[in-house]
Amino acid sequence: MSQESRVGPNEIITIGGLSYRYYGSAQLVLKNIDLRVSAGEIIVVAGKSGSGKSTLLRAINGLIPHQHSGDYSGSVIVDGLEVSSTKMSELATKVGYIFQNPENQIFMFSVERDIGFGLENLGVPRREIRERVDWAMETLGIKHLALRAPHELSDGQKQRVAIAGVIAMRPKILILDEPTSLLDPFTAKGLVKVVRDLHDSLGITVLIVEHRLDLVAQIADRIIVIDEGKVIYAGPPREVLYNSETSLYGVTEPTIVRLAKLLPFGKEALPISSDELGRQIRDRIKEKGRVSPA
Amino acid sequence: MQWIASGFLFVRGYSLIHRMDPRIRLFLAATLFIVGLLSQSVVELSVLIALCFVISLVAQIAKRFSKSLVFVGGLSFVVFLISVFLSHQSVTAGIINGLRLFEVIQATSIFFLTTTPDELEQVMRWFRLPIDFIMVFVIAVRFVPVLLMDAIQIMDAQRSRGLEFEKGSLIQRLKNTIPLLVPLIAVAVTRSLDLAEAMDARAYGALRRPSSMYVLAMRASDYASLLCFALGGALGLYIAFFLKLF
Amino acid sequence: MDSSNKMSTLERGSSKHPNDETIISFENVDYSHPNGTAALKHVSLSVSRGELVAILGTNGAGKSTLVRHINALLKPTHGRVAVFGTDTKETTSATLSRKVGIVFQNANNQLFSDSVRSEIQFGLKNFGFSQALIDERTRWALDTFGLQQYADRPPMELSGGEKKRLCNALVLAWEPEILILDEPTVGQDSEQKEKLIEMIRTLQNQSRTVIVVTHDVEFIWPLQPRTVLMTAGKIIADGSAAEVFGSVEKMKEASVLLPQLVELFNSMRIAQYPANVFQAADQISQLAIGGT
Ligand SMILES: Nc1ncnc2c1ncn2[C@@H]1O[C@H](COP(=O)(O)OP(=O)(O)OP(=O)(O)O)[C@@H](O)[C@H]1O
Ligand SMILES: Nc1ncnc2c1ncn2[C@@H]1O[C@H](COP(=O)(O)OP(=O)(O)OP(=O)(O)O)[C@@H](O)[C@H]1O
Ligand SMILES: [Mg+2]
Ligand SMILES: [Mg+2]
Repeated sequence: MSQESRVGPNEIITIGGLSYRYYGSAQLVLKNIDLRVSAGEIIVVAGKSGSGKSTLLRAINGLIPHQHSGDYSGSVIVDGLEVSSTKMSELATKVGYIFQNPENQIFMFSVERDIGFGLENLGVPRREIRERVDWAMETLGIKHLALRAPHELSDGQKQRVAIAGVIAMRPKILILDEPTSLLDPFTAKGLVKVVRDLHDSLGITVLIVEHRLDLVAQIADRIIVIDEGKVIYAGPPREVLYNSETSLYGVTEPTIVRLAKLLPFGKEALPISSDELGRQIRDRIKEKGRVSPA
Repeated sequence: MQWIASGFLFVRGYSLIHRMDPRIRLFLAATLFIVGLLSQSVVELSVLIALCFVISLVAQIAKRFSKSLVFVGGLSFVVFLISVFLSHQSVTAGIINGLRLFEVIQATSIFFLTTTPDELEQVMRWFRLPIDFIMVFVIAVRFVPVLLMDAIQIMDAQRSRGLEFEKGSLIQRLKNTIPLLVPLIAVAVTRSLDLAEAMDARAYGALRRPSSMYVLAMRASDYASLLCFALGGALGLYIAFFLKLF
Repeated sequence: MDSSNKMSTLERGSSKHPNDETIISFENVDYSHPNGTAALKHVSLSVSRGELVAILGTNGAGKSTLVRHINALLKPTHGRVAVFGTDTKETTSATLSRKVGIVFQNANNQLFSDSVRSEIQFGLKNFGFSQALIDERTRWALDTFGLQQYADRPPMELSGGEKKRLCNALVLAWEPEILILDEPTVGQDSEQKEKLIEMIRTLQNQSRTVIVVTHDVEFIWPLQPRTVLMTAGKIIADGSAAEVFGSVEKMKEASVLLPQLVELFNSMRIAQYPANVFQAADQISQLAIGGT
C-alpha cells in the first residue's frame, strides 16, 4: 500500500499514513500517522507510557523497518529519502538518535573513543574529531571521565556519554528519546540549553520525547500528543498545555501550569515558567494595592 | 562477583611501558617470545623470566601478572613431568621445556595486560589486516566486558529477589547459577541486536574507509626503546645459538 | 534566624522520627569500586522505621552506590552498615531482600525472565510464599500497575516506562518493610506518577520505610520528605524538605534545581513554601485578591 504524500517546501520529515505492528504482537502500535515537520522546528512528543512515542521515533531514523521486522505500511520521507528503502548508515548521516536506554548505546572501551565513534564512521578528519569530542565532553561535563570505560559509570553519566556521542556528529535532525530521564536537574537544564544553541547556530531540527515538560516546553515550537498510536493533538506549547483535554492523555503539566489553572486570574497570558507567573502575580498585587490601599 | 570481572576487564595503566607505542610493546613481547622459544639454556631462560618479572614491575601489573602464575607454573610442571617421564628426555631437557613454556606465556601476557583493546585495533589496522576481520575481532573483545557486567547485573537482580548465591555447599552454589545461565543467553542475544542498532544509528558502514580518532606515532623515546630491544634480542639470539651455556 | 546555625543542623542530620527505632544505619562508610573510584566517603546516615527519605544529588554522587549497601548488594570497604541491627557483612542479599526491596535505576538491569508474570513471581517463589498467595499477589501487582494486558509478554519487549512500572510492581508484590526506589518516575506519565505518590502515602500509613532516589524535584516536593543531598561521595545536607530546599548554596553544590513552587515563592520573597499547588493557590489568592 504505497501512499504518496507530497513533500512540501522546507519540509524535512514527511510521514504519510504510517501504520506499524511489531512482529508477533496483536495490536497496531502506530495507526495511520500523518505528520509534517519543517526544517528547523523543535518538536516535543508527549503522551502516555506505551502510547507509541519511541516507536514513532524509530520509524524516523530507520530502526523501523530496518532492524525490527513487523507489518509496516505508509511512507516516511526524511530529507528527501524514503526511509524504508534507504540504508541505515546513510540515514544515520542525517539523523542523530539518542536511545531511551543509554546502556544500549555506549559500547566502546573508553568514553572519548565512544563519543568519537560516529565521527570516525563519517570520515571526519582526526583533528576535527578531537575538537568535536572535546567540545561534546566539555558541554556535558564529562571531561574528567574521558578515559573511563563506559561500564564503570553511574547511570546518569552513561546518559551524558550517549548524548555527547550524538551531538558531536552535529546531525541535521536530532532525535532524543527521554534524554533527561537520568540526568541531575542542573545537567538536564544545561542539555536543554545545548539543544537550543545547536538549533540556533546550525538550524537543526529537533524531536524530543519528554515527560518533564517543565524543562522543554519553553524551547518547543510545537508539542505533539500521541495516544494509542495516533496523533491526538499538535500545536504551540501554551495552547496544548492550557487545553483541558490534553492532560487526559498523560501529559504531565508543569507545576506552574497546574497552579495557574487554579488561580482566579492570569490565565489569559498562559504562563509556562515560574518567572512569567511570578511577574503576573506581582503585577496583580501592585494593582490591588492601588485600588484599595491597605 | 566483582572479582571475576576485575580479572578479565582491562585496567588502564599509566606506566612507562603503557606509554610506549603499542607496536614497540608488541616488538618487545615478540622478541622475548622468540628468544625464549629458541633458547636451549637454563641460565638464559631464567634470566629471561627474571626480565619478564622486572618488566611487569615497571608496568605496574605485577599483581595481576602473578595471579596467573600459579596456573602457568602448574602447567609448566606438567610439561616437565611429561618430558621426563613420558617422552624420556633428560631432566635438563625437561626443565628447559617447562621454563620455556613459562617464559613464553609471560611474554605474551606482558603485551596483553598492557595493551588497550583500542591499541590492539590500531596495531591490526597498521598491519593492514582486512577491515571486516578487525571489526569482528573488535566486537568480540568489546562483548566480553559487556556480557560480564550483564551477568553481574542479572545476579544482583536475582539476589535482591531472594535467590541465594552466597550460602551453601559448593555443589549447591553451582546449582544456583543455573537460573543465571538461561536469562544470560537471552540477554546476550538481545544485547547483540541492541549493539547492531546502536552501531547503525551512528553511521557504522557509511564509508568503506572510516577515519580514525587516534594515530600511531613513534616518539624519539620509542625509537630508542626499539633500538635497545633489537640489540637485546640479537644478543639473546646469539647466546641461544652460539654460546653453549648450561 | 542565624544562617550559620541553620547550616549546622542541616549537616548534622536533623529530623529524627518521633518513635525512634533506627532500622538502617551507616557508620562512617567508605566504598571504592574495583577500578579504584571512591564512590562513598565517610558516609553516616541513620533512618528510622516509617521514615520517607529522598536522596538527591549530582550524577555520579554515589546515590545508587549508597542504596545498594542497604540490601547488601555492596558491602562497605571501610565502616559499617547495619540493617535491622544486623551488620550487612554477616548476612546475604538473598536473606535481607525479604525485608528490603530495591528497584534499580535502570529497569533493564532488573528484568531477566521470559514473561511479565514469571518476572513478578520470581521473588515470591524464592521467599517461599504459598501458591495461593503467589497468585493473589501477582494478580494484585498486575492490576495495580496496569500490566494485566502484558502478563504473557517478554519484559524486554515493553516500552521504557512500562519496564520501570513492572520493576515497581514486582518489588511491591512481596511487601518489603523497607522499600528503595532508585528513580521511580523514569518514563512515567502524569497518571502513573499520581499512582506512585498514592502508593508511597499508603506505605507511609503502614509505617513502612521508603527511600527514594530521584532527580525529579517536581515529583518529590509535594511529599515533603526528609531530604538528603549528596555530591562527590558525601552527604552535604540532611533535613526537612523545606530546610534543605531552602538552602540555595547546598542545592547548587548538589546540582539540584529548585521546584517551581519554591522558585516562584522565592521570586515573591516569601519563605513560607507551599507543599502543593492547592496550598500555593490559596496563599496567592490571599495576597492578590485579599482576605475574601
Ligand atoms: N561499576 C562501576 N565501576 C566503577 N566505577 C563505578 C561503577 N559504577 C559507578 N561508578 C562510579 O562511582 C561513582 C558513584 O556512582 P553512582 O552510580 O552511585 O552515582 P549516582 O549518584 O547514582 O549517579 P546517577 O545520578 O548518575 O545515577 C561515580 O563516580 C561512578 O562513575
Ligand atoms: N520490540 C517490541 N516488540 C513488541 N512490542 C513492543 C516492542 N517495543 C515496544 N512494544 C510495544 O509497543 C507499544 C508502544 O511502545 P513504545 O516504546 O513506542 O512506547 P512509548 O510511548 O515510547 O512509551 P514510554 O513512554 O513508556 O517509553 C507498547 O505497548 C510496547 O509494549
Ligand atoms: Mg519510549
Ligand atoms: Mg544512580
